[in-house]
Amino acid sequence: MAHRYILAVDYEKCTGCHLCELACSIKYYGVVNPYLSRITIITKPEIQASTPVFCLQCNDALCARACPANAIYFDEKTGAWLIDYNKCIGCRECVYACPFGAISLTVKAEPIKCDLCGGDPECVKVCPHGAIFYGPEYEVVRKLKKGKSVGIVYEVLEKGVEVPAGNRVKEAEEAVKTLYRIWEERKKLNI
Amino acid sequence: MYGWGGKVIYVDLTREKVVVQPLSETEAKMYLGGRGLNSYRLFKMVKPGIDPLSPENVLCLANGVLAGTALSMTSRTEISSLSPLSGILGDGNAGGDFSAILKHAGYDQIVITGRASKPKYIWIEDDTVEIRDAGDLWGLKVGEMVDTLRDIHGDDIAVAGIGPAGEHLVRFATTMIDKYHSGARGTGAVWGSKNLKAIAVRGTRGVEIADPEAFFKLAKEDEEWFKKNEFVKKIYSVIGTHYGLLAWYPGWKYFEKYLGPEELPEGIRPVDLAKYEVGRTQCFSCPVSCKDVYKLPRWNEYGVSSEFESIYALGANNAITDTEAILKMEQMADEYGMDVITLGDTLAMAKFLYEKGIITDTDTGGIPLKWGDAETQIKLIEMIAYREGFGNKLAEGYRNFAKIIGPEALKYSYDVKGLSRGWYHVDFLNGIFTLAHATSTRGADHLRGRSWAYWENDRNMDPELPLKLLEGGLPDYRKDPVGALIVSERACTLTDSIGRCKGSINSWPQAIPLVWKYPLFKGLAKLLTAATGYEFTEEKLVEIADRIYLIEMAFNVRQGIKKKHYAVPFPPEIINTPKIQAEIKRHWEMVDEYLKRRGCDVETAVPKRETLRKLGIEWVADEIENKEFPEWDGPPLWPLDKYPRGR
Ligand code: SF4
Ligand code: SF4
Ligand code: SF4
Ligand code: SF4
Repeated sequence: MAHRYILAVDYEKCTGCHLCELACSIKYYGVVNPYLSRITIITKPEIQASTPVFCLQCNDALCARACPANAIYFDEKTGAWLIDYNKCIGCRECVYACPFGAISLTVKAEPIKCDLCGGDPECVKVCPHGAIFYGPEYEVVRKLKKGKSVGIVYEVLEKGVEVPAGNRVKEAEEAVKTLYRIWEERKKLNI
Repeated sequence: MYGWGGKVIYVDLTREKVVVQPLSETEAKMYLGGRGLNSYRLFKMVKPGIDPLSPENVLCLANGVLAGTALSMTSRTEISSLSPLSGILGDGNAGGDFSAILKHAGYDQIVITGRASKPKYIWIEDDTVEIRDAGDLWGLKVGEMVDTLRDIHGDDIAVAGIGPAGEHLVRFATTMIDKYHSGARGTGAVWGSKNLKAIAVRGTRGVEIADPEAFFKLAKEDEEWFKKNEFVKKIYSVIGTHYGLLAWYPGWKYFEKYLGPEELPEGIRPVDLAKYEVGRTQCFSCPVSCKDVYKLPRWNEYGVSSEFESIYALGANNAITDTEAILKMEQMADEYGMDVITLGDTLAMAKFLYEKGIITDTDTGGIPLKWGDAETQIKLIEMIAYREGFGNKLAEGYRNFAKIIGPEALKYSYDVKGLSRGWYHVDFLNGIFTLAHATSTRGADHLRGRSWAYWENDRNMDPELPLKLLEGGLPDYRKDPVGALIVSERACTLTDSIGRCKGSINSWPQAIPLVWKYPLFKGLAKLLTAATGYEFTEEKLVEIADRIYLIEMAFNVRQGIKKKHYAVPFPPEIINTPKIQAEIKRHWEMVDEYLKRRGCDVETAVPKRETLRKLGIEWVADEIENKEFPEWDGPPLWPLDKYPRGR
């Protein structure tokens, strides 16, 4: 059996920059508008506490179950649940049914959901921090196992992450070292 | 309109009236947006010689033509006014979400005049613009204010507004955006003087792009550079502008000396600051994350974005090395809404004058001002925000503070046109450093051109970049410093007018998109053409940049700026040394050359009619030619008991 390709998120890496939303909306609607994106970043903009919300392409999709018009169907090729707009009657049941709020609405109140860009997700390409990634399930899970240690960081401040965070200091030390190295290297360039 | 929101909001607070007008196509094409649109609007609307804290002053907020688009780092709001700190053009440029969300609601600029009879805030939701009561918000610190507005309107809004410092007309109060992003030059006091606490906005319309496919392709290409760049990834995304502590020679003890990377005392090195960091964050659509989220265990509080400037001005320049206390001061400045640079430099100047005996306990109300005394400084910051005791004098800000102390003190005000120089490095960068402070249209400043005139910094970002820049037409600063400065001033003007950030990596590629591929402004012209559907070229962009700059110079001419105000101060102790005298002589030669090449009269520093005509703004000449404007000496200061004081 072919591997299922999955779009996944490493919450800790997401800084809430919104670039994925902008990319998704411009790709599909030619407009830059987070409200027209199939991925939504719930964030407290001033802190690093951001949760990308997008369709998880459930095995047993509640949106499809709820749809009275049978407009939501599974596409074997991409592993995405798609909306057949020829059938959709615009009742928005799917929006209410999705446990994650993953379905957005256009200004005309039509449902829109992630179609995995037909297997070539645009949001993944623009994410500057590798917070969202796409690949066969084993690879995605492997990445998550490495990257994820604390879990969802939404409202991280309220939960109170403790300082000093040893890794930050180490990272800063590394940064300073890199800086000195680059300085040395580039001085030789004599431009 | 593509790219632009297409509308301008005019708010008259005296009459409580809101008028929304379409953005004129001509204005849009001539000034782009952001700083360009603001400077133009202020020139049109602000009468010369008014009191910046009177209802006649005009407050403009604008986002820039590419704000809120899929081009990264287009997150900047330009906040402009006649500055109560300097008495000339004053604009601050701040990040956050406000700029993009205002654009998504369909607007390019907000123009505010008059004075409300009671505290007000403005609520914008797509087509709705309302003036609302801000009775409950008045008095709140910035964080509480933003949280309250989010409780009322939801968490997908953006907020611009002021804290207690703005309400108390502190002359270096900032406009605060989404809690932690601040725009300086005292615009916060203008909000306060207008009884305006905040503007909250939700925008669900988005930005229409003329050629989305072409635009998105260019935007992605631009972002790739940042994603691949080692300097960005490993340094700026990790320690942000703390990098500057190692690279930019922070002043120590009121500029007694400048600290090289090896001289940084423990407490203000990037690694010391990292101990308090719990996360990183950024503005809307930024891939860099230059900002730290830090925790203060001693106070059990959090703060965001302790930048180089806060550490140098509040810390090093006051000889304070208690890391956590410096972070606390930074956080207080955000909460009260004050500019950290003017705050830190004013405090350092006060300590210096106290040490010299020019001010005494009588002036300070018995508070001893000692180097390195963090505890007193924290107290003083609070007193400044509420204009209590000695804080009332300090709240006048740097040069104004020195002015009310007396001429002995004014000698030690190292400012140009009212703004502190921060540094007065001599011999540095072939004179650009000094010249840029003199020619900046908002007073001594490093973000009007200086940093972009030389390329050591850019070389660190990308070894090929300097050559690309030279190829593209940036003069070699070692041979032609004046030319290099003018080109970099253009770059900064354009960046501020498209709404992009200039600070997160402090190098050309972030300011001018695709500069490493299509230097200098050809990539930007392509992006603007794709976004707006109007044909932009590099030549047109240069003309736009010069038009904006000359309008700003003309604005300052009306405020009484003469040639002599292009002088740069040095400490009295060293000013008569041959070295400094030689530097000063060279400086004036460069000023002359600069004025000539800018198309201004070399004797009076007034833009020439002919130059203005070529830029399509001859009407500006009618406003400044053959007119007498009283010589600038800072803003009119009020008697100290006239200001709102206390809590
Ligand atoms: S829209 Fe919601 S319910 Fe439907 S597949 Fe996606 S995540 Fe599952
Ligand atoms: S809105 Fe359309 S897709 Fe959603 S449940 Fe109704 S008919 Fe089905
Ligand atoms: S995969 Fe494509 S459709 Fe889905 S959220 Fe990402 S950009 Fe949008
Ligand atoms: S692009 Fe990446 S980091 Fe930015 S908001 Fe989206 S998921 Fe988060």
